[in-house]
Amino acid sequence: MTVTGDPAIVLLIWVLLAPLLALGAGVVRPRWAARGGVVGAAVAFLLAIRTVGGPASEIRLPWAPSWGIEATLRFDGLASLYALLATGIGLAVLIYASAYMPIHLHHEHKPERDGVRFWVLMTSFMAAMVWLAAAQDLLVLFVAWDVTAVASYFLIGFDSEKPAARRAALMALFVTGVSAIGILIGAVMLRTIYGSLEIGVLAERVQPSAWTTVALALIAIGALAKSAQVPFHFWLPRAMAAPTPVSSYLHSAAMVAAGVYLLARVYPLLAAAPDVREALVVIGFLSMMVGGLLALGADEFKRLLAYSTIAQYGYVVVMLGLGGKYGIAGSALYVLAHALGKCGLFLTAGAATEATGEKALSKVGGLGASQPVLAVASGLCAATLAAFPLTIGFFKDEVFFEAAHHQGRLVTALAVLAAASTFGYIARFWTGIFLGAPKQGAHALPRRLVLPILALGAIAVVGGVKVGPFAAIASAAGQASSPGLKPLTLAYHLEASPANLMAVAAWGLGIAVFLAARHGRAALDAFAALGKRFGPEHGYIRVLGGANRLSDVIHDFEVHDLRSRMAALLLPAGVLVALAVLATPNENAWSVGVMSMADLPLVLAMIAAAIVGLAATIPRDHLLIGLLLSGVGYSLTIVYALTGAPDVALVAVLVETLFSLLFIGMLAAMPPRLLDRAAGAVSTDIRRRRDVGIGVISGILGFVVCWGALSRPAAVESAAEEQIAMVKAAHAKDVVTAILADFRGLDTMGEITVIGIALIGLLALLRRRPAR
Amino acid sequence: MTLFTSLIVAVLFGAGCFLLMKRDLLRVVAGTILVSNALNLFIISAGLSRGAVPILPFPDGELADPLVQAMVLTAIVITFGVAALLLSLVYRVYTSHLSLDLEDLAAAEEREAEDDDRPDPQADEDELWTTGEDER
Amino acid sequence: MTTLVTRIVSRGLLAPAFMVAFAIMIKGYVDTGDGFAAGCIAALAVLLQYVAFGPDVVERTLPVRYAPGAVAMGLAISLVVTFWPVVIGRSILTHAPLPDQHAIHFGALELLTAMAFDVGVFLVVLGFSVSTIRLIAGLGQGRSSR
Repeated sequence: MTVTGDPAIVLLIWVLLAPLLALGAGVVRPRWAARGGVVGAAVAFLLAIRTVGGPASEIRLPWAPSWGIEATLRFDGLASLYALLATGIGLAVLIYASAYMPIHLHHEHKPERDGVRFWVLMTSFMAAMVWLAAAQDLLVLFVAWDVTAVASYFLIGFDSEKPAARRAALMALFVTGVSAIGILIGAVMLRTIYGSLEIGVLAERVQPSAWTTVALALIAIGALAKSAQVPFHFWLPRAMAAPTPVSSYLHSAAMVAAGVYLLARVYPLLAAAPDVREALVVIGFLSMMVGGLLALGADEFKRLLAYSTIAQYGYVVVMLGLGGKYGIAGSALYVLAHALGKCGLFLTAGAATEATGEKALSKVGGLGASQPVLAVASGLCAATLAAFPLTIGFFKDEVFFEAAHHQGRLVTALAVLAAASTFGYIARFWTGIFLGAPKQGAHALPRRLVLPILALGAIAVVGGVKVGPFAAIASAAGQASSPGLKPLTLAYHLEASPANLMAVAAWGLGIAVFLAARHGRAALDAFAALGKRFGPEHGYIRVLGGANRLSDVIHDFEVHDLRSRMAALLLPAGVLVALAVLATPNENAWSVGVMSMADLPLVLAMIAAAIVGLAATIPRDHLLIGLLLSGVGYSLTIVYALTGAPDVALVAVLVETLFSLLFIGMLAAMPPRLLDRAAGAVSTDIRRRRDVGIGVISGILGFVVCWGALSRPAAVESAAEEQIAMVKAAHAKDVVTAILADFRGLDTMGEITVIGIALIGLLALLRRRPAR
Repeated sequence: MTLFTSLIVAVLFGAGCFLLMKRDLLRVVAGTILVSNALNLFIISAGLSRGAVPILPFPDGELADPLVQAMVLTAIVITFGVAALLLSLVYRVYTSHLSLDLEDLAAAEEREAEDDDRPDPQADEDELWTTGEDER
Repeated sequence: MTTLVTRIVSRGLLAPAFMVAFAIMIKGYVDTGDGFAAGCIAALAVLLQYVAFGPDVVERTLPVRYAPGAVAMGLAISLVVTFWPVVIGRSILTHAPLPDQHAIHFGALELLTAMAFDVGVFLVVLGFSVSTIRLIAGLGQGRSSR
């Protein structure tokens, strides 16, 4: 293990401990889980700050050294950025949740104990995000990726008694989990072609080719599904069934951000696949449009924000597709600014619902009068997203416009339109909640529901006034994606530069969009209905329904009756074996073998085994079957003893005895009447003939295979000779025992594990007295 | 000897498969055991050499192949574990269904399947998402 | 019920059976037999007690209720023997002493880590068999009381 650098390692270990801390505190007293979680996140955040700008320390953990696979983690600029987001936004959300979750549990009539799960899962998610951020090879990346998928499943389905929450959780897991398999396939393809899983190494070796494009496209699809881009966007609005802190964490800074993080991480490889990058631009713009239109028409707070997230990550995907200084470092800045603003708005949505009891724009209004602090805090966050000057959000649009306006008129126009729609729906959200005439009463909010929002908004404003440190973080992240990238230098320029003109145009258009959306609800609703009817979500449900029906058909056909299942196994196996026998060259292959008088006892024992085995098929009485079975076993024991295998013979005779007695004991434990009925269950003639047929055919096939195999001794030297030669070195005399305990000891290890598992099964099946 | 051993393996295997197809669960278990026995015999006869016991000091002449012996030993013990597990499964079937007849079990499952009211995912998409939504 | 002779004989056989099992296990590396065989012999001895005295008496007089624990312990021992070499930088399941080293002699017996591995196997087989016997004996009892 090579370890260099300090805070990074402490952070990586600390985030793994944080869930345990929350769990431990929660076990002592459920209420303490919140403190454990908040402390865990706070320490992690401080550690993450210390990784910023430090040397890119690298950690290598050998995993399968003989295959050259090792886990590589390094805190470069990109890792620091996403670790900062995961822990910093995580800290804000967790502080908020420490006030929110008790209320939530109270509303849902759940015990306080239930909340512990939330804290453990949130901190686990944070751990997975930090590890994901630091991953430098596709292996660690995939593992951390899947951990986030699993944690998100439990978090989205936190209110597991609600069907909608369960469905949403399953949908998120399905969409992000299945597409993650694409990432794995892509990673394996890259390793097969270029011989490494490490992104840095791959970046040096990667060449444009069709296979490379396919592999990178698969990885990109996984990333896009996670970032809820069209056409995988449908899971995100559904995931709003989660409690608000979960939504604000997962869908502003963590889970959805993981997708664009992956794109930024594999960005050096994308140079070899220009088609994939072009596709990113198209998909990004599509997501902006679809998300924007749906957000303009949405009524529920969280749903509006979910659609807006789809659109906002569309920006990031476009910027990564476009590339260049403003594209790459700019996308990092965009993610940072967006996380601050969007998380604040999600938390606002939760606070507004908490204050009024309503969750839709049409039911609230004028909250600004009774909640001035919330209105200001949330206004700062909204201003950030709407790209007002003096917030960091201004620069996020600035870099976006800089990246876009070099790409021709169409891209420029689309960029302005997208920014205008962002302005429109964010304005809708904020004015809808805080302005206008109050439609309902509102009660006071605990301070911890407002302060995190204020803090996020304040950071956004600090970033707007003094953008330097933020630009530095983004530049460092960009340099991780694309070494040699010039750092971003951002400042307010009061001149008619293209970016400034685009920003002004976007605000103007945005006001128009905002006003139009008020009066154009019908058209927007029609768009949403169209999406529902023909959109990808419909396809998803169709696929799921089809899979269910297919499973039912297979179940009815095969699993329903054990015998059909046996036949379904035996028959195709038989056909395959027969084909294999036919396909094998057969010249001089069948040897009869020599049989001398000395073999007579052996022959007799085998004949006895066969006769007793055949006899075991006949009797009606179970006890007799059991005895005949042990007869077969004992005959075979003699065979083992006569072929120079005393070890086997000894174990066989003992096991046979044990088994016979157990079989009889089991018979004694069941009522004779029942056994008699089972024994007397007569099959129809057709079935019986079929059974005999299957028995005979299996016998014949078994014979052909066995004879064929035994007639062809291995061409190479026997492994046994080697092992016989090694016995002395193993300090042993009995070769068989030496093989079992030493040369092939892992087999034995596996075997006793099987026995242990069988015992668990036995205990589970037999220990509890069944309730009748 | 090759041909003869193959015949014996075939008889045991065929008898086992025949028992596997029976309606009586205990006979199915007996079938698995016969099949395992047939395979053990097959493995031990697949040894490349036959002869003296492979324990030091070795006598003159050929030794019995120790590798297949180790394999069969492992197989025998695993078979024992699995057989015990199968028997306890059979017992469990008896306690929960009061029958060891596969036809009875299939019928019982059919009845259960009718009671199972799993919603059809295509029934009504909207309803699926709204049912159980809270009123807060 | 069983006769007095059966009971005396079976009780008398218990200790020798375990002795034989132990010997087979210890001598496994130099002669026929190994942990499997030893475990089976010991389990058969326990089974004989069940047949002769019935579950209640055995449950009282022998520590059979720890059988599942024996399986866990056996697995743990074998696992440690298997993976300990990895911890000290050797490849998996490297037994000590190494081929060129001298084993510690205990009388005519050589002490090897392979022997510990076999003890694990022995415990697993014994524990599994005894647990199964015990469970099935429990079933029979539940019925006869009806």
